[in-house]
Amino acid sequence: MDGLILASECDVANEVICAPANVNELFFNSHAWFTVGGLAFTRTSFLIFLAAALSVGFLFFSLRKGSLVPGRLQTMGEGVVGFVRDDLGRSIIGPEGDRYLPYLLSLFIFILIGNLFEVTPLVNFPITSRMAIPLFLSLVTYVIFVVVGFKKNGFRYVFDIAWPKSVPVALRPLVGLIELVSTFALRPITLAVRLFANLVAGHLMLTLLLGSGVIFVAAIGDIGAKAGLGVIWFAVGMGIFVFEIVVAILQAYIFVLLSAVYIQSSVHPEH
Amino acid sequence: MLEGNIEVLKGAIALVGYGLAAIGPGIGIGIVVGNAISAMVRQPEMQGVARTNMFLGIAFTEALALIGFVLFFIA
Repeated sequence: MDGLILASECDVANEVICAPANVNELFFNSHAWFTVGGLAFTRTSFLIFLAAALSVGFLFFSLRKGSLVPGRLQTMGEGVVGFVRDDLGRSIIGPEGDRYLPYLLSLFIFILIGNLFEVTPLVNFPITSRMAIPLFLSLVTYVIFVVVGFKKNGFRYVFDIAWPKSVPVALRPLVGLIELVSTFALRPITLAVRLFANLVAGHLMLTLLLGSGVIFVAAIGDIGAKAGLGVIWFAVGMGIFVFEIVVAILQAYIFVLLSAVYIQSSVHPEH
Repeated sequence: MLEGNIEVLKGAIALVGYGLAAIGPGIGIGIVVGNAISAMVRQPEMQGVARTNMFLGIAFTEALALIGFVLFFIA
C-alpha cells in the first residue's frame, strides 16, 4: 500500500509514465523520422532493417573465407549453422530438412537478433514485440507448410487431417474438426502470439522495474528515505535483465522449432 | 470510490482473468518439465530427444497463458 501511494506521488511529480489518451495515437506518425509516400519510417523500421543487415552481414562475414582453421567469427557462424541444420532441420524434419535449412537459418538469426535488441544497451527495444513482425514471420511459415502439404500429398493432405485414421470411427468427426481448426486457424496465431507476448512481457517488466527504480532514486529530494525502494526495484530489474537474455534465445529457438515441426507434419503427415 | 464506475473495475477483472488463465499452464509446464527430467535421468542417451520434446510441450502449454496475457491488454 505504501508503494502505491508513493507511486502516485512520483507520477504527479514527474509525469514520466503516461498512457496515451487514445490507442490511435500509437498509429499516427508522430514519432516518424521521415515519411516516404505516406509510409512513416520510425525507429522500429530502422531496427528492422538493422536486424536484417546484421543477419546478412553475420552470415556473409563469418562464412566468407571458409578457412580450414576457423577464426572466432567463423566458429560462431559454423556453430549456428550446424545447430540449426542438425538439431532443428535434420532431427525434426528428417533427411529432407536440408531443403528448408535456408529458411530456418535466416528465421533463427533474424528473430534472435530482433529479440536480443531487448537487452542491448541504448537500444532496449525488441522489434519482435511489434505484432507485425511475428505475424508476418508466422504467416510465411504457414504458407510454406500448407504449400508443402498440398504439394506432397495433394488433396489427401486436408482429407487426412479432417478424417484421422488413428482415431475410432465415432470420434473422427469431432477430432477431425478440432484438428482442422488447430492446423489451419490456430497454428499461425499461436506461433505469432507466443513470440510477441513473451517479448512484450519482458520489455514491460524491464521498463517498469528499471524505469521506476531510476525515477525513485531521482526523486530523492522530494520523497526522502523512500527513494531506497528504487534501489531494490532496480536490483530486481537487473535480475530480470539476465533472465530476459535466456528468454530471447529460447523464444527464437522455440519459434524455429515449431516452424520445423509444422513443416515436418506436412512432409510426413502420417506421423 | 467505486460508485457506478465500471471502468475502475475493468482493469481489476482483467487482472483476475489473467491470474486464472495462468493456473492451468503453470501446472502443465510443471508436469511437462518434471516428466522430461525423469526421462532424461532414466535414459541419458535419449537426452536430446527428451529436451526437444520438452520445449515443444512447454511451447504448446504456454500458449494458453500467453493468450490470457494478450487478452488482458485487449479487454
